[in-house]
Amino acid sequence: MSARGAVLRRLYRTFADTARQRPGAVLRLALWSAVGAAPTFVFGHAVARAVDGFLAGRPAAACGWLGVLLLAGVAGALAFRPLYAALAAIVEPFRDDLVERVVRGALARSLTGRPDTGAVARLTHQVEIARDSYAGLLMVARGFLFSTAGALLGLLTLAPAMLLFVLPPLLLALVLFAALLALLAARQRALLLGEERLAERTAAVAEGVRDAVACGGEERLRAEVGEVVDEQAALARSMARLGALRALILALGGWGPLLLVLAAAPWLVERGAGPGTVAGALTYVMHGLRPALNTLVQGVGGGGLRLAVALERIAESGPPPAPALPPALPPTPSPTPSPTQPPALSPAPSPALPPTRPPTADPIPGRPAVELCGVTFSYGPRARAVLKDLDLVVPEGDHLAVVGPSGIGKSTLAALVAGTAVPSAGRVLVHGRPPGDPRHRVLIPQQAYVFGGSLHDNLGYLAPGADSAAMARAVDAVGLAALVKRLGGLGGMMDPGALSAGEAQLVALARAFLSPAPLVVLDEATCHLDPAAEARVERAFAARPGTLVVIAHRISSALRARRVLVLDGSAAVSGGHEELLAGSPLYRDLVGHWRSEPAGGLGDPDGVDPVARTDLPVDPR
Amino acid sequence: MKRDSLVLRAARRGGGWAAVLALARLADVAVSVLFPLALAHAIDTVLAGRDVLPALLPCAALFALSAAAGALLELGAGSAAARATAWVRHLLVGRLLAAGPARGALPAGEAASRITAGAADAGTAPVAAIQSGIALLQPVGAMVALIVIDWRVALGLALGLPVIAVLLRAFVRDVSGSVRRYMTVQGTIAARLGEALGGARTIAAAGTSAREADRVLTALPELRDHGHALWRAQGGMGGRGLVVGLLLQVCALAVAGFQLAAGRITPGELVAVAQYAGLVVGLGPIVSGLLRLARARAGAGWAAELLAAPVPEHGTRDAPPGPGRLEFRGVRSGGVLDGLDLVVPGGRSVAVVGRSGAGKSLLAALAGRLADPDAGEVLLDGVPLPELSRPALRREVGYAFDRPALFGATVRDAIGFGPEPATPARVLAAASAARADDFVRRLPAGYATPVTDAPMSGGELQRLGLARAFAHPGRLLVLDDATSSLDTATELQVAQALAGEFGDRTRLIIAHRAGTAARADLVAWLDGGRIRALGRHADLWADPGYRDVFGADGR
Repeated sequence: MSARGAVLRRLYRTFADTARQRPGAVLRLALWSAVGAAPTFVFGHAVARAVDGFLAGRPAAACGWLGVLLLAGVAGALAFRPLYAALAAIVEPFRDDLVERVVRGALARSLTGRPDTGAVARLTHQVEIARDSYAGLLMVARGFLFSTAGALLGLLTLAPAMLLFVLPPLLLALVLFAALLALLAARQRALLLGEERLAERTAAVAEGVRDAVACGGEERLRAEVGEVVDEQAALARSMARLGALRALILALGGWGPLLLVLAAAPWLVERGAGPGTVAGALTYVMHGLRPALNTLVQGVGGGGLRLAVALERIAESGPPPAPALPPALPPTPSPTPSPTQPPALSPAPSPALPPTRPPTADPIPGRPAVELCGVTFSYGPRARAVLKDLDLVVPEGDHLAVVGPSGIGKSTLAALVAGTAVPSAGRVLVHGRPPGDPRHRVLIPQQAYVFGGSLHDNLGYLAPGADSAAMARAVDAVGLAALVKRLGGLGGMMDPGALSAGEAQLVALARAFLSPAPLVVLDEATCHLDPAAEARVERAFAARPGTLVVIAHRISSALRARRVLVLDGSAAVSGGHEELLAGSPLYRDLVGHWRSEPAGGLGDPDGVDPVARTDLPVDPR
Repeated sequence: MKRDSLVLRAARRGGGWAAVLALARLADVAVSVLFPLALAHAIDTVLAGRDVLPALLPCAALFALSAAAGALLELGAGSAAARATAWVRHLLVGRLLAAGPARGALPAGEAASRITAGAADAGTAPVAAIQSGIALLQPVGAMVALIVIDWRVALGLALGLPVIAVLLRAFVRDVSGSVRRYMTVQGTIAARLGEALGGARTIAAAGTSAREADRVLTALPELRDHGHALWRAQGGMGGRGLVVGLLLQVCALAVAGFQLAAGRITPGELVAVAQYAGLVVGLGPIVSGLLRLARARAGAGWAAELLAAPVPEHGTRDAPPGPGRLEFRGVRSGGVLDGLDLVVPGGRSVAVVGRSGAGKSLLAALAGRLADPDAGEVLLDGVPLPELSRPALRREVGYAFDRPALFGATVRDAIGFGPEPATPARVLAAASAARADDFVRRLPAGYATPVTDAPMSGGELQRLGLARAFAHPGRLLVLDDATSSLDTATELQVAQALAGEFGDRTRLIIAHRAGTAARADLVAWLDGGRIRALGRHADLWADPGYRDVFGADGR
């Protein structure tokens, strides 16, 4: 598929959608454009009559005709306001749709585990480019159409024979320009993509400048980024060469009719045309056709391509599931969600399928909080399984800690229980129902989510109806009081960027504490807290009615749990602390390191407060 | 002024193309001023019934000149801007890297957009300046031509000009306020989206995706209001501009018509008057050129802010032979470290502990000159760090961080990243020592897996960062909280490698865990901006204040 074909198709589709969805606005745009073209139509006639009038010694009549021109001008000017209002009625909803599309698409994609880091830039950058260039394109296109029509109509009524000399060069220029568009489109697209690549590279360098300097890799990075810079410069120069070609086409279309009309003028005069007619015909060419063509070539060359590329970028990153598509834009044959593509690999466990929302159903009384039966999970059909044939039952009211080396699949397990990942094989049940119902369980990941808004709104995120007494209890339980005080109460506004990672985690934890869900899954949700704060949080959740599953960041979490699940890649063992010490070499290993502290430490040897001994000195030998 | 000096220097890089652009623009203006005269002559020839061909020749010549000038104009403008932009970008990237981590609090995305958008603006500024400067000649030339044709017509037109100027000023004022409000709302929406994307796992689990989208989009109606206001302003301006422009043209035509009736000018000249009036009144291109210039200058200023960051200077000395003795003498920095003295003996490991905010990471940065102290000195084997050449400094000091940023296309490149890529054998050994070999081999393409495609947890990322530091030669190794995300068992294995294979290097280890401190030869306890104690962990442990550093006393 040729680049031009793609560009023109996309532009055509965009406009067709606009016409279908907002026919009123399009009609108004056309109507007022026609009124706006009145001065163009009148201009040549007025000049012709005025010249003849002045030459014939009838200055009053001549001035009358100039007055008509002025009136037409006033009418055209008055048309501008409704014209722009019609334009706004097309372009603003168009932008709204794009914004909505980017936002919902980015959110939907992030939920499947693919982080969408470019979304914010697309939102501010591409969407605005699309809006501005669509508006520009509409104005250019309607300007060209109506000005050209006005001028040609004027010419037709003034000196129809002149059309024979005006139309051929004009049409030739248009055809050549259309051919050039293909080349321009390809180059422009490469240029825009290159800019994005450059922005990505420089952002990565800026982000990691500390590491770059520490490794002494400045020269290498400078050369690497420099290469992209030079590629862009080369592309820009080749665009300039095409621009030169475009200028030649413009010259042909603008000057050709003029010279031909001049050359044909004697012939016209022989047939009885007066000075006025000649002057009027030339006026149509110079004041009507030339500016119109000029605007078209400059406008479409730049704006049309920018719009097509921006729309393509937005569509490529559009929402993968069809239902989220806003009605504004048709589903485009975008290459992104290709079914043959393996799911993206990402640090967070990503499900092979988007999370399915099970029908809402109440927990089945008497069933365990969590049941896993022969559960296997892998990122793709050929990838090594992260979890294999896992069986696990967590009774209601239990407190389970999951331990194991990093990267062994603990977070995947959390995601499976929460229903945000779907097993490749086997079955997961929560309270006897398919997992994923937010009323049955709450999952707090390592990366705490805090949004700009009041502390109250943040805490009530999972329990919108919670009263202030409940909130106070939650704040107290997880140890969030200091932050509440600093913000001046629950109504205090939070700037997520101003919170420390630990504070953000406490907010997320208090939110989970308030949630009515009977099952709580903490996936290293306390990793930025100090050991004492972590202990307080875990004890608070253990005392909360319901079931607690803790993906442990520190081994101390295991000692607080009633039962421990040890994941070590090949097998999973669960049991009580003593049981595992006897039965799991890995567990012994993990805890052993912790225990082999030099004598004379502190804390309670009977383990009433195990956290006091977390990460105590370890003898390496 | 920094901004204009950047624009001027960029302009020089445009070189010959800038001259081509200027000449082409001049030719273009000359054509537009001369053509109506040639046209007038041709029309009058036709009306007089003489042979039109000789009169057409000047027109055709001007046509050829105009076509050539138009083509050269595009070529010159594009090429000059491309060259100047590339030059500014090279300059900014170089400066970004040379200034290093001390560049201040400019977020990465900001820096990136200055290098892309800002530099492009700065690169266009010379072109915009030439274009709009010469464009000013066009109405002047047209006015002169009008005076030549008939001074009365010119006078009539000149009287109307101030009206246009007033109109344009009002427009710019109207629009800039609306634009600012529009952009503010847009920024709000973007910021909210950024937050929500950061909390994707929470949102996925809570099933609140639709609610989040609604929250992000709350401000959309407000955005639309500001957008409509902007279009209204433009529409109003367009209408007023049209009517005023046309009014002036009609005035000029009326005056010219009476002159025509009086026989003072010819019909051809009347057509020329309409042309010239259009040139004088059509300030649009000039105004848009000036607006573009203003934007380009603003962009250049924005980009030039990157140049404000100071660039550390390096000496010329090579590191003398030595065991890697690191010494801090009376170091003051960032209002945190206050007269700190510390000696890290060569070939030994020293763990730095202290409460958060005590300045541990600052100390790590100072150790390898990722930052310079406000006062005092840091010496490696007796040589103050600023006296070392940059290659020598970077060769001798290796770093591993809490959250390393990886560079290079593949995992292998990322581990071997440095002035010279490390050999595959060295990469392998380093990865094994950092306990990264095992998980790297499980990646889709092992060591050849693109970094961007590698699913990595925080702990795995840290292990790659450690491997990179291990692959780096040199006598001093600084570990800034570089094992914080490792589980206890892995951390122990890494510690063993650190004590074994890398035992001959001096190691400065920023530690949060007591276990890490316990394994170091010595512990430097950082408190109140100085070293409160330097000793063995087992000895210090008796001090409750020391234990308190690890939060080990519980509540």
